Amino acid sequence: MRKKLALFILLGWILLLIGDRVDELRVYQGAQIAMYAIALSSIVLLTGYSGQVSLGNGAMMAVGGYAAALTLNNLGSPVWFAFVMAVFVSALFGAFLGAAAARLSGPYLAGTTLALAVGLPEIANQFDFLGGVPGLLFDVGFPPERLGEEFTQYKWFFWIATFLALLSLFITSNILQSRYGRTWRAIRSNSLAAELSGVHAGRMKILAFTISSAIAGLAGAVLAMTISLVAPGAYTLALSFALVTGAVLAGVSSLPGVVFGALILVAIPEVADVLATRWGGDENLNNYLPGLIVSVLLILSVIFTPNGPGEKLKSRHHKKA
Amino acid sequence: MQKLLETFLIGLSTGSIYALMSIALVLVWRSTRVVNFAQAGQAMLSTYIGFEIATRTEIFWLGLLCAIAAGALLGAGVDYFFMRVLFKHAVSGPAAVVAPVIATLGLLGLVRSIVGLIWGGEFKSIKAPASTDGFTIGETTIPFSPLNLLIIVTVFIILIALAIIFQRTNLGLSLRASAYAPEIAQLAGIRTARTRTIGWAIAGGVGGVAGMLNTASNFLSPYSLDLLLVFGFIAAVIGGLESMVGSVVGALILGIALTFILNYVGTSLVFIGGFVVLIVVLLVKPDGIMAKGRARRA
Repeated sequence: MRKKLALFILLGWILLLIGDRVDELRVYQGAQIAMYAIALSSIVLLTGYSGQVSLGNGAMMAVGGYAAALTLNNLGSPVWFAFVMAVFVSALFGAFLGAAAARLSGPYLAGTTLALAVGLPEIANQFDFLGGVPGLLFDVGFPPERLGEEFTQYKWFFWIATFLALLSLFITSNILQSRYGRTWRAIRSNSLAAELSGVHAGRMKILAFTISSAIAGLAGAVLAMTISLVAPGAYTLALSFALVTGAVLAGVSSLPGVVFGALILVAIPEVADVLATRWGGDENLNNYLPGLIVSVLLILSVIFTPNGPGEKLKSRHHKKA
Repeated sequence: MQKLLETFLIGLSTGSIYALMSIALVLVWRSTRVVNFAQAGQAMLSTYIGFEIATRTEIFWLGLLCAIAAGALLGAGVDYFFMRVLFKHAVSGPAAVVAPVIATLGLLGLVRSIVGLIWGGEFKSIKAPASTDGFTIGETTIPFSPLNLLIIVTVFIILIALAIIFQRTNLGLSLRASAYAPEIAQLAGIRTARTRTIGWAIAGGVGGVAGMLNTASNFLSPYSLDLLLVFGFIAAVIGGLESMVGSVVGALILGIALTFILNYVGTSLVFIGGFVVLIVVLLVKPDGIMAKGRARRA
């Protein structure tokens, strides 16, 4: 545990050094990668470990984003408190939903969470205190002055996002290696056998849902920070799609994989942009090519390496041994 | 009293569109054990094809027929070229349970992007085959229009046709048999794989009709059928996911309930209402309203 902590601190330090040496756009993308890494780890915990599929993590992120924005705007609280509230409110929401979800299996859970992903932006559209279509501002403010005048806004985003990502990944990885992580895997593999060994499967599933939502809510607040806004348009079904894709690409049950998944999710729009310009830069191409790439990647990976790219290597290794 | 009646009628018309979508979902679920989220995508693509035909020829019914044909072909194609490949790579490991569902989700995204690339994102509308102005009774005009009536009648005809196929033909018997007990059906000489593909085709065609009817009273965009998918799913869950009759009943109940919320409470609560219905049904009667008392499962 201490070794791991040292490793994470070292990693953070390296990331900060890198952040000083690349241009603004890359720094901004670094913040996005951190955001996706947090979001993907929530899916790894929920789907990869406790075996519950959630197609609605975009909705959980929305809960976190709105909670953070409402806290910051209405209470005039410090920024860190907004993030805490994002975690807290989405955890509460997740606990409530998890109580229903724990009794649902496969198709029911998938459908319910999908319904949530489709519907939650609609709901946000309807209520005035949530800002309707244009949404709410979410401004974490300028970087503190003692960091120097050179220190840009994007780098400040990057620092916050990276710090939160490392913190949440550290906590998540410890949870997954603890008794809870083992119990979740036991439930996923054979819930009857797990219950016979004295595990309260329902309670553990609700716990997984709650923690996963809390992490997703944090990701939602980070996303809101990077775009300075919380709006229904930011937490669409497409976001939930992208998250599922990233998680499958990462290998659903591998926590280090989330960094890889996050990298790909940030790279896709870039690649799509380059391709779209090369192929004529027509408006439809610009709008729909990223989605096309995401879907094709999702389909291919779910057919050929459903347990992540690491799986094939591992099974080959086992055969040799 | 009048408002009560017209809300009921409009709800019936909305619910009958949900019924088609939920039947499509139930058909696929029974035969393949997958909730086919791509159904919205398949329906969307077939509706766009029907839309093209209907606008070019200005005959709605020709468009509808083409949408049915396109939907059926698409459904069969998805099963034959996609689901079979997916199940051949029979997966094990942590992703085994979720892989098929995620694959259909990917397919939905794929179809959506293709539709977007071809037709773009702007809203399209089809000239409705009947007037959308409400009927006039005596002095007052009610919101229930000839189009609503036509939707109810069309859906009713399709339901009758499906009932005949499933209850009175050999095809229907083999469809039911291979959904109920695939191995025994196979032993009895039914080619279950082919029967399954036919089931997907029927589901695809029904989905195409749902898309066309939804578009006639609404508009069409790459996202316009998402809510239909969600409400179709909720209706299927009310019916227990297994029963076609149950899903139709569920869809009508849901359609009427949501229209009552729309007319008496307001737009903002329609979706929340649907979601609450879903959660309540799942918690109180998870096997659906048609379920008979059943031994408790582990």
